Amino acid sequence: MSSAVATHGHEEIAKQTRELFVGIFTEEHQLMSVAKDATDNGHPVHDCYTPYPVHGLDDALGWKRSWIPYASFCFGLFGLSLAVGLQVHSQYVDFVPFWRGWPIIIGGKPFLSWPAFIPVFFELTVLCTGHLTVLTYLIYRRLYPGAKVKVHIDGVTDDRFAIALDPEGEGFDEDQARALFAKHGCTEILTVEGRV
Amino acid sequence: MSVTSHLREPLVTGGNPKLADITDAVIKPMQSKPNKLWWLAFIPAAILFVAGFTTMGYQISEGIGTWGLNKTVGWGWDITNFVWWVGIGHAGTAISAILFLFRQRWRTAINRSAEAMTILAVICAAIFPVIHMGRPWFGWWWFAPLPNMRGPLWVNFRSPLLWDFFAISTYFSISCVFWYFGLLPDIATFRDRTNKKVKKIIYGVLSFGWSGSNRDWSHYEIVYGILAGLAAPLVLSVHTIVSMDFATSVIPGWHTTIFPPYFVAGALFSGFAMVMTLLIISRKTQNMEHLITINHIDNMAKVVLATGMLVGLAYFTEFLIGWYSGSNYEGFIFFSSRMKGPYAWAYWIMISCNVISPQIFWFRRFRRNLPLVFVMTIFVNIGMWFERFVIIVTSLNRDYLPSSWSMYSPTWVEMLEYGGTLGFFFTFYLLFVRFLPSIAIAEVKSVAAYAQREEHAASIEEAQHV
Repeated sequence: MSSAVATHGHEEIAKQTRELFVGIFTEEHQLMSVAKDATDNGHPVHDCYTPYPVHGLDDALGWKRSWIPYASFCFGLFGLSLAVGLQVHSQYVDFVPFWRGWPIIIGGKPFLSWPAFIPVFFELTVLCTGHLTVLTYLIYRRLYPGAKVKVHIDGVTDDRFAIALDPEGEGFDEDQARALFAKHGCTEILTVEGRV
Repeated sequence: MSVTSHLREPLVTGGNPKLADITDAVIKPMQSKPNKLWWLAFIPAAILFVAGFTTMGYQISEGIGTWGLNKTVGWGWDITNFVWWVGIGHAGTAISAILFLFRQRWRTAINRSAEAMTILAVICAAIFPVIHMGRPWFGWWWFAPLPNMRGPLWVNFRSPLLWDFFAISTYFSISCVFWYFGLLPDIATFRDRTNKKVKKIIYGVLSFGWSGSNRDWSHYEIVYGILAGLAAPLVLSVHTIVSMDFATSVIPGWHTTIFPPYFVAGALFSGFAMVMTLLIISRKTQNMEHLITINHIDNMAKVVLATGMLVGLAYFTEFLIGWYSGSNYEGFIFFSSRMKGPYAWAYWIMISCNVISPQIFWFRRFRRNLPLVFVMTIFVNIGMWFERFVIIVTSLNRDYLPSSWSMYSPTWVEMLEYGGTLGFFFTFYLLFVRFLPSIAIAEVKSVAAYAQREEHAASIEEAQHV
């Protein structure tokens, strides 16, 4: 598709970009079988590109389950502590120096009437977990407003399925890769420049 | 060969459309000029929106005296509208989060527009408590300590009104994140499909550089699941807390423990009705009848029937407790004031729209009769508006002291402000269907591919038998 950009004066860019060896498929099951085959036979799979999340593809590629839920749990604990701190501080005792609470008796209820604090415990837990989880994901995957598409392959957001091999990876052999793609019904083979 | 399930209705009709056809169908309204029908809806909505919001400006400059409230009836149309709008918002989250967790794959065609509806409805809802403050710029003190001579005077965290502030703001912001997070892949689809240069740039920025990479998808699905898992209890908490605004008081007619589940059921009831009102129109005008199928309408009508009967059960329970408790005040409110009092007409509108008329949804023939379903959804929304009016006004206008009994009727200001929120809702909904993919393209593709997967599996099996 495009040739190497490591021309004079562009070394900096060339370091970040890489030519990927891409096979295009039209059916989901073709991609599944090629992904499994490539992984089993030691081809260096960089990534797959699909118009929708293909279930089972992670297993076919031998990828581990996302670590993000563990982060979410911590965010939840953070949100909960925030809510506990806020309410206990402002309604019961001012334990933060220089930032005084002002406990007052309302309706004759005790200062630490904690069952009444549960709704806000819940809401702040959800608020922090939801926002921080999404933020973590976006930062980790480098997705932000105006971000450049890392690897652009025509049609993969529409109706095509692609598998990208890394030519610089260990065990890459172009002839074998071509044979592998053809075996699973590949319609097109491209080299695509991608920021890795 | 094709495989048809005898148990499950097809999720996408019209003979297994190709993936590209789904993209085409959804982005078509974004690429073409709006038709006459769209303008016909947009112009009145925009006029109402501007008129309503101008009236709010007038009300804020003049004061709450421009409303029909009085000492006895301190909440009127404002809080009625607030609860009504919040309730409508609930269906969006129910469809996108609760149905997602229950793996109800039919949700894919309708969740996007339902989520947009949620966000707009919550904005409309939030407007009412804000303008009811009279001086909205003091709204900060809902969560910040009130500055004064002695020190920081904090808000009262034991008050449901404050819980409500936390619930609604969490609900609104999480709904926005959930909606936009779901939109990312579809905005990228449009970015890659459009030929217009300006649109390519704008949608390029909005798509956050989405490439369809499986490394992105792999975590994306997990994060989406987490958001759904958070939004599902959140949506239940929101209307529970809204109901506690009433239930924790000592006003007869409000002081009931049935309120939280009753309000949640009512919220889903009116929300699903509003989703249907919008979708019956948009599937027709945007040629998406093979994506938003008659089966979707049928399913939603079943939800309306079920939640409507839950609401009916709650009405009955209130009466039962009104009688069984032996409390004179409770008995008076339910048996005299509501059924036979000065607002009895509102009460009977509520009963006929919410309990009696949805019973026709027991019949498949009626659930699949679009004009009838459309009329029914309007009835449900009228009924649910009157439910909140009945709860609020009939309970307040006959309080403990007969000398302070009074009547309430809205002024033109209140009416126009309510109209203004309706105008706002429809204006932005119509803009949404023009500028963003109103159906979750990636998700519909995955369910369309589901059928193809079954087909593929069946053909392998057949080959093995031969």
